[in-house]
Amino acid sequence: MKTKILLFFVIFLASWLYGQSLSGPEIIEKVDNYLNPETCWAKSKMTIQTSSGKERTFVYESWSKNHDEKNLIRYLEPIRVKNQATLMHNYADDIWMYFPRTRRVRKLATHAKKQKMEGSDFSYEDMGAGDSFIKDYTCKRLEDQSLEDRQCYLVEMHRKSNADISYSRLKMYILKENFVPVRVEYYDEDHPDRLLKTLIQSDIRIFDGIPTAMKMIMINEIDNSETKMEFIEVKYNIEIDDALFTERGLKE
Amino acid sequence: MKMYGFWILIFIFLSSPLLSQQLDMFGYFESQFMAARVKSEILQMQSNKMRLDFESIQNCLHFGANINAITYHGKTDWIIPDYLPDRVCKEIPASIRSYYVLTFENELELDNAYVRIAFHKWDLTLGKQQISLGSGYAWNPTDLFNQKDLFDPTYEQPGHNAVRVDIPLASRLNGMILYAPDDDWNNSAKLVSFKTGIGRFDYTIMAIEKGWTFHDYTAFYGFDFQKTVETRRMLGSSLVGELFGWGVWFECGYNRMQIRDHFYEITAGMNYTFDFQTYIMIEYYRNSMARSRMDNYTLNDWMRYLASEQKALNRDQLYVLIQHPVSDLTDLGLNVIAAGDKSLALLPTLRSTPFENVELLAYGNLYLGKESAVFHRNLGNGGLVRMRIYF
Repeated sequence: MKTKILLFFVIFLASWLYGQSLSGPEIIEKVDNYLNPETCWAKSKMTIQTSSGKERTFVYESWSKNHDEKNLIRYLEPIRVKNQATLMHNYADDIWMYFPRTRRVRKLATHAKKQKMEGSDFSYEDMGAGDSFIKDYTCKRLEDQSLEDRQCYLVEMHRKSNADISYSRLKMYILKENFVPVRVEYYDEDHPDRLLKTLIQSDIRIFDGIPTAMKMIMINEIDNSETKMEFIEVKYNIEIDDALFTERGLKE
Repeated sequence: MKMYGFWILIFIFLSSPLLSQQLDMFGYFESQFMAARVKSEILQMQSNKMRLDFESIQNCLHFGANINAITYHGKTDWIIPDYLPDRVCKEIPASIRSYYVLTFENELELDNAYVRIAFHKWDLTLGKQQISLGSGYAWNPTDLFNQKDLFDPTYEQPGHNAVRVDIPLASRLNGMILYAPDDDWNNSAKLVSFKTGIGRFDYTIMAIEKGWTFHDYTAFYGFDFQKTVETRRMLGSSLVGELFGWGVWFECGYNRMQIRDHFYEITAGMNYTFDFQTYIMIEYYRNSMARSRMDNYTLNDWMRYLASEQKALNRDQLYVLIQHPVSDLTDLGLNVIAAGDKSLALLPTLRSTPFENVELLAYGNLYLGKESAVFHRNLGNGGLVRMRIYF
């Protein structure tokens, strides 16, 4: 019995020490690993609530590969945008859009990443960020915080000088128990103290060993609008053919 | 002819249980109202359009079709000389003046109807289908099939009867061969194109041969103006990508003509989205077949331009679009279309989705140009409101 108690104590102490010793970049690397598995397929529902109280709902399928380096989004609903699709390569540095009524595929420049996705509070950059947290930001761990009685790492991320991204800094609250960022604050590109958007993630479930926030709410602090995104279904590390992430796949 | 399409479609569905079992039906209803002040009159026209789409996808077989039914109301006969400069109208022979009328007639047509078969290494598409070529927004020198409405360049184009083979050769290398039959081999369209991606750019090169129909609007024989079909051979290329953070595109076509002088067309454009969500787009277009001076515009130039037989009246044109989302569901914009004859059209535009599956477009058009210019005041300042409901 004494041995078990001692073992438990040692494990607890070791994990506490491990948690204490993690640096900002190490925490973000773990977050990134969970957010961007080798492959992912999901069916999602996005509900936009405008500042005037109106709601718009979209349902779409998405596929990603190579840890989100390649990403394809295809809309299923509403009928107005049915079969419209977006293909992203190189972590959304290369974007193509497909318009089914004209069967036209158009390549977009990276500035299009700043545009709202179907009028939502998520930009294309938010959706296909991939390894942006690692590549485009320097990370610094701040004092741990408690959010709704759950212990969180707090990491502040500052944009690197050469990064072409829309935010000057992010503040990320990450659950210690599973490295899920439950709150992310996005700050203005030119005014680092001006809070633009806040992402709240909840309803965390485990799929294929990967903790997944089933609900995300992006709150636009400027426009007073919000967009809710929910996973209807999600699968990780499945076989996805590279051919899907081509112009032919985009049009299918 | 137009009714045939409808019955052919019905026949296809009734005779193909496999297709009808998994048939997806959708479409939209569109109502449009336009008004223009011409001289002292306010002229009005309304149209109602119903588009019904059918789609069936089974493994490697994709069937798609749509029927358009359109009714026109109000002023459906437009006397063209009323809107042309006086100098040009003098060219119209008095005996045939009554034939210069643009009439909007009700339509019921099979717009697209195609089968696409996805083989392991390539796709085959047969039937009436969308053919979209080029990277330009308002003008596409490499697109010999369609002509965009400058006031609404993204509006869907009609389907074209063709046999098309798409061959993905590598992850960013695609080949396309297309044959669009006409009454004989010489007039039929033959197209070969290759599209590849290098770095941040997509490049396309293509060669097309197509019969080009144009009319002599000063000579009227029997039931129509005198028609000539000549072979047009075009070598074209386009690219689209990014330079210094701006989206850029370029498209050109060199045309060798059977009868008329050879000519070229060029489009170059750039666009950007600012952090405050305002979008700006600028596109330049040059057509060496068009006139450089407005004093040289002839009746044929005007009529061919209005009949979409040629893409421009003036050699140089510029398109500027500024758009900003004023709310989550509404964009306000200003389109400016300028011609080399120092005339321009201003179009303040509103696009909105006031309800789920409802789109609203409204724009005003203001012409600022001398009487002989492309965008001259006599064309009639006015506006258009269009509501589209998807189902």
